Amino acid sequence: MLTLDALRVRHGPLEALHGVSLTIVPGVSLLLGRNGAGKSTLLRAVAGYLRPSSGRIVWQGSDISRASIGQRAAAGVMLIPDEGGVFRSLSVRENLELFADGGVEPAFEAFPDLRALSRRRAALLSGGEQQMLALSRALIAPWRLLLVDELSHGLAPYLATRLYAVLAELAAAHPDRAVVLAEPHPHEAFAHAGEVQHVHVLRRGELAASGSSSEFDAITL
Amino acid sequence: MFYAGLALNGLAVGCVAALAAVGLLATYRVTGVFNIAFGAVAVFCAYVMWQCVRVWGMPVGVAGLLVLGVVAPGIGLLLERAVYRPLRSGASGLLVATLGVLVLQLGLVFLLWGGRSYVDAPSLLPAGDVRLGTLHLPYATIVELCVVVVVAGGLTVLLRATRVGLMVRAVVDDRDLAAAVRVPADRLAAGGWAFGSFLAGLAGVLWAPIYHLDPYSLTLTVLETMGVAVLARLASLPVAVGAALVIGVGQTELTAVHPAVRWQGLVDAFHTNLFVLVLFVALMVLPRLGIRDSGALGGLHRVGARRSRADVVGRLPLGALSLVLGLPLFFDPGDLRAALAVPALAVVFVSLVVATGYAGQISLGQAGYAGLGALFMAKLAEGGVPWLVALFLGPVLVVPVGWLTGYPAIHRRGLYLALTTFATAAVVGRFVFAQPVFVGGLAVMRPPGFVDDHWFYGLELGCLGLALVVVWTLHTGPLGRALVALRDSEAAAVSAGIDVRRVKVFVFACAAGLAGLGGALTASAAQAFNPTDFDPVQGLVWFAAVAVWGVDSAVGAVVGAAALVAVDVGTVVGVSGLLIGAGAVLLGRFPGGIAGVVRRVGDWFAVSPVRGERRLSPAGREVADRVRERRA
Repeated sequence: MLTLDALRVRHGPLEALHGVSLTIVPGVSLLLGRNGAGKSTLLRAVAGYLRPSSGRIVWQGSDISRASIGQRAAAGVMLIPDEGGVFRSLSVRENLELFADGGVEPAFEAFPDLRALSRRRAALLSGGEQQMLALSRALIAPWRLLLVDELSHGLAPYLATRLYAVLAELAAAHPDRAVVLAEPHPHEAFAHAGEVQHVHVLRRGELAASGSSSEFDAITL
Repeated sequence: MFYAGLALNGLAVGCVAALAAVGLLATYRVTGVFNIAFGAVAVFCAYVMWQCVRVWGMPVGVAGLLVLGVVAPGIGLLLERAVYRPLRSGASGLLVATLGVLVLQLGLVFLLWGGRSYVDAPSLLPAGDVRLGTLHLPYATIVELCVVVVVAGGLTVLLRATRVGLMVRAVVDDRDLAAAVRVPADRLAAGGWAFGSFLAGLAGVLWAPIYHLDPYSLTLTVLETMGVAVLARLASLPVAVGAALVIGVGQTELTAVHPAVRWQGLVDAFHTNLFVLVLFVALMVLPRLGIRDSGALGGLHRVGARRSRADVVGRLPLGALSLVLGLPLFFDPGDLRAALAVPALAVVFVSLVVATGYAGQISLGQAGYAGLGALFMAKLAEGGVPWLVALFLGPVLVVPVGWLTGYPAIHRRGLYLALTTFATAAVVGRFVFAQPVFVGGLAVMRPPGFVDDHWFYGLELGCLGLALVVVWTLHTGPLGRALVALRDSEAAAVSAGIDVRRVKVFVFACAAGLAGLGGALTASAAQAFNPTDFDPVQGLVWFAAVAVWGVDSAVGAVVGAAALVAVDVGTVVGVSGLLIGAGAVLLGRFPGGIAGVVRRVGDWFAVSPVRGERRLSPAGREVADRVRERRA
């Protein structure tokens, strides 16, 4: 579905991705790598937040390397960033109304906590609640490629487990769509993420390994 | 005492102020940018309106439609596309960019209309009035009131209750995320700017007939209504409208106060400048604005490390500079006279480098300190102090003033600090420099022995050298590191044990003293105290100029001063404003300004055959060798 071809991305004078080529197929893929390996950069480049300095991003047969964020969103690419995935100055309900393509009910069903908070400004939510709200976007808006950047970032373990459960359920309900999870910790990623089909490992901005999940052993990674 | 007739007059003033404040707030609400350039857009539109009616002879209605329907929104669209949209990716450098737009448009006004002021600005509103018993209520006031209420009410309803309003708020909050949830972010942002610009044009067209059509004073008048917006903490439209009306009425009511003769001047100053006072007091009293301030400084400073050792390339600019500064001594008398302004202005610019470049404290108020330096010098000399002593003692007296005004800076940063410093300069300008009590009959002479232009230029160069030595001491050693730490992150500086409060106040005091010296030199060179030299709007231009030449480069500041004077002397008035404005607008694309670019080019040349080798310390070189071995 998604093919990256020798993708290079720069942050000013520093190059964060030194020519990464990989293919994402439907199902759940894990993108592993330490801090600074380039996971977030890769996801942000695919979603259109960063412009690649060279290389191509091909999504469903068309080159989207130069497309704007809005065009990519319309083509079905959705990024849930590790922070900043909500409009901080708007209330929870307003956030959901902006996210939603139809009703906002599915979000409240998955995260009942949000219903009680619906009039509160997102900036006043705890980190976990903000992350719930951000993930709600995947429940109420259409997507074909979901990029999730460190969902468990700074969250209590039980909250992380709940968010992953919602995500796994969502992925299982749509086997024809692709989900990419960027995670720094391989053990937790394998424990939480349910049915992982593919694993890509980034190291210092380069693709170090790529393969199906059975080829990787979480203990030795 | 309360006079109803005066109150109605005050209502008219208050209405237009409310309109400007509502426009400023509305722009902020729909674009997320506190637009300092609002005043300049207003003035530009007022001038276009004047041109259409008085020169091209269009009917007022047609001209109004053209200006408010095409020109003003067009300016907004143009600015959004060319200036603000490219900046948003970094979401920084906005303050300098808006300042650049202000300087650019003022320059355009000066270029197109020669900076002349006109008293016959056409009025859009009908003449005549309604009789209420013995009172007359002008139609104009009624129309203005309606416009204010409609704009404020309509905007509130739009933003709070409609889907479009929700989308606009989303775009202001996070433009990338808004685009990601399929909101037409670019179109909404463009619409927001067009609307904000329309309101600025409306304010300008309505203000112009009430006041003179004059580039500096009208810009300042519109900028002063920022006080109303600040009172409303940039959030509440009703508070802004109410405050503007109350201040307007208060202003006219004060005309009826007749105290003892010796205090009359002070009361007059109050009633003509109530808005400045409100701006100043509001900024001093309110702890913070309801505004996001992050990254206001972005783009000002260059990124990356300084070369640790001075090398040939690093010394080149300094050598060239001393050569260039020495040249005017061989000019013919007329050119030398013009060149006298260079070192004086350079000292003021260097003071900005200290405050903003090194310590990261935005100061838009250097014009005020410079003027005070000149004033103190003249007053001291009047009191019998020799001129040469007064030249240095005057600026020293400005240091306590800088110390005092530095106190509010302790808890302020970014835009809020910028506004506070600007308000300080505006208050000083209106209550000191514009008052005959203080500046009437002031004689300024050069110190004996330096009366000749050549000798005086030499004295100026000496002062500039002194200033540069002071700056160099401030930039090196523990104090220099503390300043840079303060600039990078206040929180980190505190936790590293730096006494942030004291350092900030100290920096402001130093910068004020230097600016005072520059002002004293300016006045001595001209042999007169000229209030327009120290106009608060001038301070904005200076800040933009220093930013363009590289805010953390003292050499850049000196070159910038020379270039500014050269352009002003060599071309028509307004060109320098255009150039500085364009540079400031583009500053987001080349962080660190011209000095930053020069340094990068220098770095590129200075790199030895083995890449990066020369910039490494011995220990670093060892590590580099080890890495190379491992790779091999």
